[in-house]
Amino acid sequence: MRATVLLSAGRHPVSGRASPVAVEMQAIRLAIDLGATPSGLHAGEAASAAQDALGHGLSRLVLLEGATDDPLPALLDHLRRLPPDLLLAGRRGQGGSDSGLLPYQLAHGLGWPIVADVVRLTRSGGKLIAEQALPRGARRVVTLSLPCIVTVHPAALPALPFRLAGLQGEVRSVPVAPTPATSQPELRPYRMRPKVVERSAGGGSVLVGVSAEQAASAILSELRRLKMLAG
Amino acid sequence: MRRVAAPAFLVLAVLDVTSGVLSAHDRQLLGAAHVLAGEAGAVVVLAPPGLAGLETAGADRVLTSAPSDGYDPDGKAAAVMTAIASLDPRHVLFAESADGGDLARRVAASGHFPLAAGIEALGANFAVRPCSAGRFEERAAPARLLSVAPDRIGGYAGLPCEALALPETPWPPGCPFAATIRSGDPSQLPLTEAAFVVAAGDGLTDFDMFARLVTALGATPGASRVLCDAGLMPRDRQVGASGSVLAAECYVAVGISGAPQHLAGITGVPHVIAVNTDLHAAMVARAGLAVIADAQDVMRALLAQLSA
Repeated sequence: MRATVLLSAGRHPVSGRASPVAVEMQAIRLAIDLGATPSGLHAGEAASAAQDALGHGLSRLVLLEGATDDPLPALLDHLRRLPPDLLLAGRRGQGGSDSGLLPYQLAHGLGWPIVADVVRLTRSGGKLIAEQALPRGARRVVTLSLPCIVTVHPAALPALPFRLAGLQGEVRSVPVAPTPATSQPELRPYRMRPKVVERSAGGGSVLVGVSAEQAASAILSELRRLKMLAG
Repeated sequence: MRRVAAPAFLVLAVLDVTSGVLSAHDRQLLGAAHVLAGEAGAVVVLAPPGLAGLETAGADRVLTSAPSDGYDPDGKAAAVMTAIASLDPRHVLFAESADGGDLARRVAASGHFPLAAGIEALGANFAVRPCSAGRFEERAAPARLLSVAPDRIGGYAGLPCEALALPETPWPPGCPFAATIRSGDPSQLPLTEAAFVVAAGDGLTDFDMFARLVTALGATPGASRVLCDAGLMPRDRQVGASGSVLAAECYVAVGISGAPQHLAGITGVPHVIAVNTDLHAAMVARAGLAVIADAQDVMRALLAQLSA
């Protein structure tokens, strides 16, 4: 199976230096665990973060050089010419706009199904079975037909350890026509804003001098009212 | 009562409604929609039929759409596209949650709309979202599509709205994925993700019984700092300022007096039940239901009633 992992121009959240994005390295591992030999695909400048991904298990790396602001046309063109069976991406980038929109635009452009927030991949016949992370630790098991796109959630298994020898993997540069620069929005240093918290005032009922049995039934009826008990 | 007879423009809020009722995130979405709509515009919600409490939550108009069975995100995106085509709203808001964020991106990709994802601050003419690995924030005019990060924008607190029903939007037959949902094992969940936490404090002596009670209730175990420091509970189970801050629905504190650092971990929990021998403990004052009794006796009675 041909698997391709999309690599973004990642930045470290603290130092701001070019660094690979953790979920994309986890995506490489998901593809390897599936029995594929994944190749990387990166469009645009700042390829040093993408180069580092070779050390985390990629067999080869394709760089689409020249697509500066909007990588979408170059990626679509490349993927239409050499379509993989499975395209993996991180759920959000880290260092650019970080909107998580690009995999969906690729899915729309290619007409492939997309499933987000995948933590595990297995194969069954010609189908791909993806486990999707939901809130509260729940998982949704989705059956997909190939080719398809999945985005990877941080709850997936950790990335393979870095191997220096991996950096000697094959790197192929493909020049593409640069896209016109788009207007950049106003950027400011991030300011953490307080979270909205709806405080519960307390001051509820207090049971004093009741037997343990009465107390237990009061607690259980309260839990049933809150729909916290399965029964 | 707020009435918008002839709205100058519309703001569409696509509610998440994960468990059949309006969530706190849905209310925040409507709060954000009112920031954008102001006095002149009207807020339209797209919601499944039969949803209660939309008037007070801030819906001027209600557009219902009955979901198809199964996991059909593309069908839902097509239903939102139909609503956008018929109403031509100025802005469309989504919740930046697991399924809401996915839906926002599907709609943005299929309609080629600009999307501002994960809005953290909002005014009538600006929207702020983090970017560049959270080191910078982007400030721009509100885009056509916006997804609102959880717990950043307050819910609607104005007069009740009229919630006029609009004609139902058909849910186009998509191609649902074959999917099954498996709920998480509550005893293994990280505390920050748990919905129902039962936590032990220094008033507890019988840890075996506590473990059996947590299993019987189907809850996630937690603990106070004292127990974790003593090695009686694992460190990843610690609730409070130096442990985990909970996002749970319900918290049962067994033998926890409620130090300020511990209460800091449960500020966001709406329902607290306390079992304590001290009537004047801070946890008793915080709780919606407090029982003044020994933890071991109450746990034994709870286990007996649960197994009966």
